[in-house]
Parts: sequence; structure tokens; C-alpha cells
Amino acid sequence: MATLNPGITIPRDTAAPGGREPDNSSDDPRGRAPLVLGDNDFSSVTDKVTAIALKPMNQTPKAWYVAFAISLAMLSLLGVTVAYLLTTGVGVWGNNNRVAWGFDIINFVFWVGIGHAGTLISAILFLFRQNWRTSINRFAEAMTIFAVTCAGIYPALHIGRVWLAYWMLPYFNQMGMWPQARSPLLWDVFAVTTYATVSALFWYVGMVPDLATFRDRAKNRIGKLIYGLAALGWNGSSRHWMRFERAYLLLAALATPLVLSVHSVVSFDFAISQLPGWHTTIFPPYFVAGAVFGGFAMVITLAIPARQFFGLKDMITIRHLENMAKIMLGTGLIVAFAYVSEFFVAWYSGHHFEQFVFANRVVGPYAWAFGVMFFCNVIAPQALWFKAMRTNIWVLLAVAMCVNVGMWFERFVIIVTSLHRDFLPANWTMYAPTWVDMGMLIGSFGLFFTMFLLFCRFLPMVAMAEVKTVMPQSHVEHHGDYAGDYHGDYGQTDDESANDKEDQP
Amino acid sequence: MSSPSPSPDLSKQPLRLGPESQGWIRFCIIAAVVGVLSAVAHLFLAVDGDKRFFLAYVVAYGFILSLSLGGLFFVMIQHLSRAGWSVVVRRPAELLAANMPVVALLFLPIAVSVAMGGGEIYPWAQPDSAAVEYAEEGTFRESLAGVEHLYLHQVLDGLTMEKRPYLNRPFFLLRWALFLALWMWMAHWFLKHSTLQDETGDHQLTVKQETWAGLLLLIYALTVSFGAWDLLMSVNPHWFSTIFGVYYFTGAVAGTLAVMILLLKFLQGRGYLNEVVTVEHYHDLGKFLFAFVFFWGYIAFSQYMLIWYAALPETTGWFTNRGATAVREEMNGWLWIAILLVVGHFVIPFVGLMSRHVKRNGGGLVFWAGWVLVFHWLDIYWVVMPEMGPAVVLGPMEIGLAVALSAVFAIGLIRRASKVNLVPTHDPRLADSIAFENL
Repeated sequence: MATLNPGITIPRDTAAPGGREPDNSSDDPRGRAPLVLGDNDFSSVTDKVTAIALKPMNQTPKAWYVAFAISLAMLSLLGVTVAYLLTTGVGVWGNNNRVAWGFDIINFVFWVGIGHAGTLISAILFLFRQNWRTSINRFAEAMTIFAVTCAGIYPALHIGRVWLAYWMLPYFNQMGMWPQARSPLLWDVFAVTTYATVSALFWYVGMVPDLATFRDRAKNRIGKLIYGLAALGWNGSSRHWMRFERAYLLLAALATPLVLSVHSVVSFDFAISQLPGWHTTIFPPYFVAGAVFGGFAMVITLAIPARQFFGLKDMITIRHLENMAKIMLGTGLIVAFAYVSEFFVAWYSGHHFEQFVFANRVVGPYAWAFGVMFFCNVIAPQALWFKAMRTNIWVLLAVAMCVNVGMWFERFVIIVTSLHRDFLPANWTMYAPTWVDMGMLIGSFGLFFTMFLLFCRFLPMVAMAEVKTVMPQSHVEHHGDYAGDYHGDYGQTDDESANDKEDQP
Repeated sequence: MSSPSPSPDLSKQPLRLGPESQGWIRFCIIAAVVGVLSAVAHLFLAVDGDKRFFLAYVVAYGFILSLSLGGLFFVMIQHLSRAGWSVVVRRPAELLAANMPVVALLFLPIAVSVAMGGGEIYPWAQPDSAAVEYAEEGTFRESLAGVEHLYLHQVLDGLTMEKRPYLNRPFFLLRWALFLALWMWMAHWFLKHSTLQDETGDHQLTVKQETWAGLLLLIYALTVSFGAWDLLMSVNPHWFSTIFGVYYFTGAVAGTLAVMILLLKFLQGRGYLNEVVTVEHYHDLGKFLFAFVFFWGYIAFSQYMLIWYAALPETTGWFTNRGATAVREEMNGWLWIAILLVVGHFVIPFVGLMSRHVKRNGGGLVFWAGWVLVFHWLDIYWVVMPEMGPAVVLGPMEIGLAVALSAVFAIGLIRRASKVNLVPTHDPRLADSIAFENL
């Protein structure tokens, strides 16, 4: 907030030794490290972010085309597998009598979980006044919406008769087909659609000032028209800003409980049952922590290449990555804590089936899956205790990849190992995915990356207006006594000054 | 490098408690004596027996322990997040945490009850010779003081015996020695570094606390969770809930924030900390209080709803004993306390603390802080006391012990507080904290 003074600890033109990135990860408590590096002022931030989206198609980086082609190919695999599934039936999946939930629910929970980081960054970190979130919130929110889109596919298809999916909505009808309000699967419908709606609204509302900048800078007619419509007549007047900031604060407050509610409701799908391994009271907060854990892993996975290819290293700095690494470590430890609680209480309960399920996870036929999960979620993140590891991009990327894999396997372990061995050994069976399952998993990544690449190319990837509020220039007027150390240019020289906020919402 | 932000002028007001604090101590001594006397009188005049005394003691103990643990959490989380706003309100939290030696001393009666093997608090603390193969639900037993209602889990049956490797007397006492030692050491460590900085002004002390806060918080999470299982969950050794540690923790932090608000207001009313702690800090403490009231509601709902929905007898029993059941024949008076908790610990303060105006209005915030604190006690009361039987017990015993232990806790707190500054005078972020504004 206003009383913090970013940018007094480290000279902003820190030349890093050996051509390495400038290091703003200092934690000297006498000041706050700068969050925007390099020789940037308000106009250069605008220039850099708008240039990514507004350059002509023939100047798009080749890497973008390559990535887009691969994503599109994966997406078409989703199309093929879904078409095959719809024309044949859900029997093409590996689900069987005992393991009635397989890849479909695993992938659903996985993708919904990914979607948590965006809202956490944009709502909860906003309420906690974490200024560093401004550089990453926009694409994290975009990631949220795309991840929730991917998640929605699976339950919709799992109901079997997709064309009757609307029966889950409480619309007025003469057939008396009311939704089963006692089923957490129905609660999911409401929780996830509410979440998707509020996330999309939050994302869009936050983007309006930046879309106005795009409108003003767009060169071609189509761009002007589309960005112009999307900017809703924003003119940057102080009245607009006042209403914008109020709306943003209210949306943040509304989105905060949603961060908790969505994955809590997803955990109810399991925890309300009487199944050993599923029925445990820690599931709601444990699922939320796991979702944030996995979500941050995905944000890091996307942020590291994005800052590299789009030249955003000044805005998404080492400090941002380090902070995300810390949140990942923290939520990872909560997940590990939940594992400890579950195993201990399974023994403590004196409930023999409960004890069997947990023993079966560790030494049963799916022990390998448990091993992958345990290594990726519990062991690998421990590297992040050390600053040298958190600030090393390759280590961070490797850990984030581990967590992506680990959190997928966590859902596999929870779902498959709890289901495949029933109370009666006669019902014991194994589960294996079919090629359709695998195709749909790969395909959902195709959908995710296709949407993400389109977003990077055509929309403001960094929240320009918000980033400017955490630059020292924004604080000069209020705190003149801090200005002595600032060597940059205080003035706003570009014609975007109308879009520069004076202070944080 | 720039020079640190200009030092605020703290010379205008007292930084340490004056001699008037002796008067507060005298008041607390009287309160403690009255509390103990009323509990003892109740013990001898009523027929409830020593079981009620010890259970009421656990309620009071769980209450004051939670205030120390909540203070420790507040200190750790502020260091971990390198917070600037909270510097001026951190010392009260450090002192609450550092009061842990008093809390540790007050553990002795519980330790004695466990060591003696009477099983007044914990049925599992009875010796193996008391074990039976089979018992009937709702049996009665003759005790020294009269007839006692007995729940199935209060008989040392086969299920409880299966938990023997964990629920046994030496291991329990060893665990608690370890927990209390760790909590005392952590709290002492933070207060020591913070007060050392008052003298030296060395900013490296802040860096050191921030560096270790993460690891210490991990130890804290494990010890508090196992501690809550031991102290409060195992009064019913049959029952189990993985979330129970989190349940205790959320209530503890809500109670602690309430105490911090009340303490700061109390001190400001007597001329301390004015112009240092401002309405902005109360606003933020109020937001935290609101958040933890909500968090408690979320955790309590999750625990109840999942157990209610699955309706497995091994876990619903705990709620049935506490009146929270939909079966009319099994309902008892504790249902009213349960409903009171839902409304008073969650719904009403949630609505009451929502408005910005209330959080920035001294009187309003004090009212809600007091409210939350009372309901935090009631929460622990509802967790423990229904072990007495289906009839609600609330009398001089429960209230007297709560007052007595709180008063002893307060005496320790005042004595500790009078030896240190009330504000971390040389924290590098002190100026940031004093100038902080909610925009």
C-alpha cells in the first residue's frame, strides 16, 4: 500500500555479474525491494506490454507459431476422442464396475485445482496487499479460466448423455425432473459455474483499463473495433477509476470465499461418502491447499517461458518467482501435513478398513503411484527451503514440473487406490486407462495451451495499470522524503497518463 | 543504500508499564482467588465429583493455552510474510506467546490426573487392569462423590485398548513435556530477538527471525495439531477427526486476535501506545478477526457436515453426546449450546464484523472482540464438558476455573510485559507501521 516504499533498497540499475539477471530478491528489512527492474518508467511498461499483442501477425515470434501448432494438434486429439466417445459411449473409457471414477474425475479435480492459483493471486493476495502480485495476476487469472474450462469437459461427458446435461440446472419443467440437491455432484455444478463466472468477471473487469490502452494504440481497424468494444468506453477519468477500484475491491472480497468453496465442494464429492480413504474431515482445507499448491506450480510453469519469450523479465522478476516458490513450498507443506494427519488418524481410528486402505496405498499394487506422488509433492519441494534453489530458474522449473505431476498423481491415488479394493476381496480389481482416456488428457492440455497462447498474443498479459502502482514513481507525491534515492524519471511523458493510477485500489 | 526511514518520535509517551500495573496484578490475584474458591466450594458442595472439576479445568486450560499459541502464530506469520503494518501490534502477541511458562506450569493438574490413572479426564489413562471386554452404552457407575453417567467410550474397552501404543500415560506425559518445551522455547526465542533489537537496533535480528519463522511454523503446525488431539479430542478416545487440530487452531487465533484488540484498547485507555497504534491497525486486526471467525465457521461446518452426511456410528457418537443430532430421542440439552455456537461464534459476529465502519470504530470493535472471546471459551466448553453426561453442566466450577486460570495467565502477562517495551522500538519497519493507512 501507499506506506510501503518500493525501490529504495537496491539501485534499480543493478548490473548483474556475469550476465546474470539482476537480483532483486534481497530481504533487507530496511526497505522494500523494487518490483519492476531495468530502466522502466510508465510509458516503457505500456510499450512493452502493448507491443506483445499489437504487433502485426508477420512479426509474431516463430516460437509462438510452433507452440500454437503443437497445442492445436493436441486439441484436435481432444476433438477426435470426444467425438469417438459421444458416438460410442463412456464404455470406451477404462472405468469399470469397481473403479467407476477414473481419469475423468482425476482430470476434473486436477484442472479445477490448477484454476485456484489465479483467484488466490488476484483476490486473496490483493486483500493481503501483496504488491508483487500485480505482474502475474492477469495471466494467472487467464490460466484459471482456461483450467476451469478444461475441468468442465469431464463431468459433462461422464454423465453419459451429454445432451441432457441441462437437467442438472433447476429450470422449470413439467416432467418433475428436479436436480438431486443432496448430491455433492450437483453442488459441484453450482460451485464450479459460480467460480468460473466470478473469475471471468474479475479477469475482465480488471482488464478494462488495459483494453482501453490497446484501443488507443491499435493500428488496424479490426483491432480498434474489438478492443474498443471491450473497453466499454473507458476514458480514464478519476470517476471511472474510483468506480473501478470499488468494483475491484468488492469482486476481490466476493472471490475470496470462492477460492475456499470450490475445492471444498470438490472434496465433498469424496468426503461425504462412507468409503475408507475418502471419508475424512480434513479433506476440505487439504484439497484447497493442494489446489493452490498445484495452481502455483502451473503459474510458475507458464511464467518462466512467458517472461523469457515475451521479454517480460523486468516485470516478472526473480523476486516474483521466488515469492511464488515460497507459496508453493508453504502449501506443499500443508499438503504433507494432511498426509501425516490422514495416516496417523487412519491408525488411531481403530477402523480396520481405513487402516487397510492406507496400507494398500503404500504397499499395494499402486505403490508406484503413491511413490511418484510422495516424491513429487513432499520430497521435491523441500529444495525450495533454500534461496539458491528458489532463485535458480532451472531448479524452480523442475520442482514446478514435479508438482504438476505429483498433484495429478495425488488425485489418481485418492480415487483409484480407494476404489479398486472393496470391502469384499471378491470385488477387488485393477484399473487401467484406455487410449481414449490418454487422448482426452493430452487433448485437455491442448485446449489449455491453445487458449493460453491466444491470450498471450492478443490480450494484455501483464496488468499494466496495476504494475504502475507499485513502481516508485507512483509514490513520489505522497512520500517525498523517500524520493532521495530514486534516480529515475518521475514525469509521465507519454500520452497514456490518463491510464496511470495514482494509487492502489 | 538509503538510510532507514526517519525514526518516529516515541519519547512523548511511556514505553513501559508504570507502577499502576501492580494494581492490575492485585486485581487479578483477587479474581484468581475468587475463581479458585468458587470452584473448590462447588467441588465440595455439589455431588458431581472430581471428574467435573478436572474437565472444567481442561476447558479453562484449553482456553488460556490457545491464547498463548495464537500469539505465537501471529508473531510467526508476521515475520514469515515480512509484514510492515503489524510492527506496532506485534509486542502484545510476543508477550502472549512468551507467557507459555505460566501455561506450562498450569498443565500440572492435568499431568497429575493422567499420572494417577483415575481417568477423570481421559478414560484411556486408566490402568490396563481396568480394561473390560464389553460395556453397555449409558451405564452408570458409583463414584466417590455420587452416581456418574458413563458413556461407552469412558469404559476402557477393546477399541480404546487398540490405541494403547499412542494413548498411554508415559507417552502422553512425554509428548506434552516436548510440546510445552518447544512452545516455550519458540516464544522465548522470538521475544528475546525482538527485545534485543530494542537495545541494539540491529536489523539483522529481523532477518534472522524471518529466516527461521518458516521452519518454526512447521514445528508449530505439527505440535498444535497433535496437542489438540491429545488435550481435547482424546477426552473421547473412540472419536477421531483429522481436521480437529485445525478446528482448535482457528478458534485459538480468533480468540487471540480478540485478546490483542482488547489489550491494546485497555493500554490506550491508560495512556500507552497512543499515536503509535492507530485506527488503521485496529481496522486490520478487525479484518483478521473477521477472517478467522469465518475460517472457524468453515472448519466447524466441514467437520460437522462430513460426519453428519456419512452418518457412521463411530464418528457421529461424539456429536450425539454433544446434542448435535437429528434423532429426537437422542437429543439433549447440549443441543442448545451447539446452536448457540453456530449462531454466536459464526453467524452473528460474521455479520457484525463485516462493515468497515465497525472495524474502525473503537467501541464496536471492542464489543465484537469481547463477544468472540466469550464464544471461543464456549466452543472449548462444548467440546469437553458434554463428557459429563447428557445434562448441561454450567456453574461456579466452570466459570470459576475459567476466571482463575485467565487471571493467573494475566498476572504472568503483566509481569512479563512490565519488563519490556510495549512497542518494538527499533524495528526497521516501525516507521512504515506507524504511518500505515488502509486506502
